[in-house]
Amino acid sequence: MTPRFDDLVEQDLPAEERGRLERVHDLLVAAGPPPELSPEFEFGPTLAMTLPKRRQGRGRQRLALLAAALVVLALVFTLGYITGNGSGGGIVGVRTLRLAGTAQAPGALASLVLSNEDDAGNWPMKLTVTGLAKLPPRGYYEVFLARDGRPIASCGVFVVKSKSAAVTVDLNAPYSFRRSDGWVITRQAPGQHEPGPVVMHPLA
Amino acid sequence: MELAVQTPARLHAVPAPPTPVTDDGEPTDAALLVRVGERDREAFEQLYRRYIRSVMGLALRRLRDRGRAEDAVQEIFAAVWRSAGSYKPERGPAAPWLYAVARNAIIDRMRTRNEPAAEVPDTPSGEPGPLERAETSYVSWRVHRALEELPEKEREVVELAYWSGMSQSEVAEYLAIPLGTVKTRTRSALSRLAGLLEGEELR
Repeated sequence: MTPRFDDLVEQDLPAEERGRLERVHDLLVAAGPPPELSPEFEFGPTLAMTLPKRRQGRGRQRLALLAAALVVLALVFTLGYITGNGSGGGIVGVRTLRLAGTAQAPGALASLVLSNEDDAGNWPMKLTVTGLAKLPPRGYYEVFLARDGRPIASCGVFVVKSKSAAVTVDLNAPYSFRRSDGWVITRQAPGQHEPGPVVMHPLA
Repeated sequence: MELAVQTPARLHAVPAPPTPVTDDGEPTDAALLVRVGERDREAFEQLYRRYIRSVMGLALRRLRDRGRAEDAVQEIFAAVWRSAGSYKPERGPAAPWLYAVARNAIIDRMRTRNEPAAEVPDTPSGEPGPLERAETSYVSWRVHRALEELPEKEREVVELAYWSGMSQSEVAEYLAIPLGTVKTRTRSALSRLAGLLEGEELR
């Protein structure tokens, strides 16, 4: 039911002001109610919105393949340099996310290179991390897709040999990123299946 | 003073010089869009919050299906992220630029997926034509964007008064406030919306 303007505001408005407000009233009636948002849209933009678009079409696919080959070459070269020297500069990739240690792992740093989604829906990733402590036997670190800083879906696990040595591992996120906004790394005790304490989170 | 929600074409024809901040010190939409073009995620999030209801509303009107509309919203904001670098503030305000990106993303989606447009009329009728529909869509776009600027208490009263079916007395009872306060808030909200919609750019 459309409300009547006269029922909404006082009657003692000056004519000019009345006309001005009445036009807004007409616009509100014409516009209709704003839509309800589902929680995932209410929360904020999702990671998928800022990821590179998957290429379509044969010509574009060839270009993408060529670009991917160049990226892989650059990655191999750069990662080889990093692992060969124990330190190094940035990693070449489609998109690189930086993670830093929480109070659980101060000083830890990581780069997560996210490649384009493949046709099957996988998002290949390469994680390079330094500064994480070696864990007790059968303990491991786990990389999770996260929402609001909380782990929601596993993307793989890894272990480290020592705090000073860089570790590079290939991971995969076979998920839609609609419900996620980044990645975190947790520390997992032996036999622990629930996500453990978050030791690394995205750099602000 | 003439109040009008202008169509995108008219807005393009009368570009306003961009200002980086509003009177209350918040960045304008144009300033945010420029920052998004520089890959500023915080600016993207701010812009998202300002426009999510306008974008969702447009997608729902065009696609008439929540699932398809939500997918389209993803694609629209992805398109904004990708193409914000091409936005030139000196050529016009952000609202019509964003509207054009959203509308084009929806059209592209319908074309590539062979999805029917919900707003295409099959038979001649008394329903609005394409131009009127576009204007109505743009009115909704700007009005919903302007609603985001209202203080919470004023927006609440407007939403209840216009779209809940409640009378002013029922709104007063529902919110447990005097009827006079409901009317004062409604008037204040309408006046604030008039100020926002009279301007060439919202923020």
